[in-house]
Amino acid sequence: MIALILRRLSTAIPTLFAVILLSFVLMRTAPGGPFDGERPLDPATREALTTAYGLDLPLWDQFVRYLSRLAHGDFGPSLVYRDFTVTDLIAKGLPISLTLGALALVLALAVGISAGLLAATRAGLWSDRVVGIGATLLTALPSFVTAPLLVLTFGLVLGWLPVSGWNDGAAPNLVLPVIALALPVAGAIAKLTRAGLAGVMAQDHIRTARARGLKPATVLFRHALRPALVPVASYVGPAAAGLLTGAVIIETIFALPGLGRYFVQGALNRDYPLVLGVVTLYAALIILFNLLADLAYGWLDPRARG
Amino acid sequence: MNRPLSTVAMIVVLALIAPLVLEWPHDEIDWNAVRAVPLTGSHWLGTDNVGRDLLARTLIGTRVTLSVAIAAAFVALVIGVAWGAIAGWVGGKVDEAMMRIVDALFALPFMFVVILLMVVFGRSILLVFLGIGAVEWLVMARVVRGQVIQLKQRPFIIAAEAAGAPPLAIITGHILPNVAGVAIAYLLLTVPQVVMVESFLSFLGLGVQEPLTSLGILVKEGADDMDIAPVGLLVPGGILVTLLVCLTLAGEKLRDRYSG
Repeated sequence: MIALILRRLSTAIPTLFAVILLSFVLMRTAPGGPFDGERPLDPATREALTTAYGLDLPLWDQFVRYLSRLAHGDFGPSLVYRDFTVTDLIAKGLPISLTLGALALVLALAVGISAGLLAATRAGLWSDRVVGIGATLLTALPSFVTAPLLVLTFGLVLGWLPVSGWNDGAAPNLVLPVIALALPVAGAIAKLTRAGLAGVMAQDHIRTARARGLKPATVLFRHALRPALVPVASYVGPAAAGLLTGAVIIETIFALPGLGRYFVQGALNRDYPLVLGVVTLYAALIILFNLLADLAYGWLDPRARG
Repeated sequence: MNRPLSTVAMIVVLALIAPLVLEWPHDEIDWNAVRAVPLTGSHWLGTDNVGRDLLARTLIGTRVTLSVAIAAAFVALVIGVAWGAIAGWVGGKVDEAMMRIVDALFALPFMFVVILLMVVFGRSILLVFLGIGAVEWLVMARVVRGQVIQLKQRPFIIAAEAAGAPPLAIITGHILPNVAGVAIAYLLLTVPQVVMVESFLSFLGLGVQEPLTSLGILVKEGADDMDIAPVGLLVPGGILVTLLVCLTLAGEKLRDRYSG
């Protein structure tokens, strides 16, 4: 297990480094700068600002400084949110994004696995077909279409739930964003679970368990489910990436002060340190989730350890 | 939904022909009908918040979204097929290195890389599709490489080699025609992916810019005004979803046929 973790880290760290380097170089070679406003700045002020933020140093020097500060957990100052450092903004936004993402992942796993189970145990019946079509639709529907539709139905027409806002994470405010975020992931998990179970149910050890006279539920939950979830486990990494990107949209639509919203604001305003910090953090999170997916894979399928 | 491609074809034909016969172009303001409800005068779907004909905007938006998607999918096709064919044909260390790069890129948060590209190089439509195409070629490269490795051991390729055909001639004359079917299936699957990315970017204001419009922008504008005019959300959203679902279904069908 430890060998596996080490081997994964040996590719993860260079990848992370490459992401930081690439985004750093891209951001610094970009035309236009953070101090280009509607009104041209006084040259002296401009120079003072450029020096204060270290933008006049050679690129490699800036990069080394950035890395060393990063190692101390300092993402630098935000150029647009003048009173905050990027670390402040991340500390404010990340918990909100993680809450959303975690709730959505749990919901997607619960709904997706149950739907997949239902479909696999009723293979060929109408409930199987409904799940199949539903899952395809859900994975094809973009969240920026489903989220406004959900708001329109439950927020505006029926008036059951708040339309937007964070409200300190009150439960009613969370319902619609979490559902909108979870739907495409739930569809993908339902498909994977159904395909995984269909494959496992045809194997010899399931036939043996049945022949020994075990109850269908015991066969399903004790013998079939665990190996069938292997593809679901390896999907957790991509799912986490999907939830992080989805959160950018969902936070914008529901006006939630999460990390994704700072990212979009930073991108629209050329706030280099903010965008760089968020991309680095996202890359680290996605790499972490891929690692977790590998570990879960090894737990579910002992043959994959080693 | 049984014939997904004919539905797509219908939408394409509508988007190409209908704007020619409409009374209002997509970017002209009708000062007498700002925020008009559907069926006001010659505005079949009404107008948006500054008085531009919604039907014309939807049709032009569909056109732009599809053009970007097709162009980006071709960029992905060219890079993916070239990368995969070279890796698969040369093999050995080169193959390993090239596929290692693909693996590393797979682990990247690619949506953020595209946004980064948009931020850095400005939000031009050309860069929207170049940027998207440049990150969507990975699956294509993997699939083509797998096919090429299988093909390499087939007798007719070995025969061509034994007959002294130069490698380039073998690749273009024998390998690529045999990879074409699978490549087209994945091209079809890449298009909805790109539609999704383009709409995502445009929705956030980072993709296609005014006065051009795209389905993503229209969905965004529709969502902003949905409490007073839900048609502005429902029509572009409906077209977008229909395109995504039909293209995905058609691509999956074709892929399943070629992968047996």
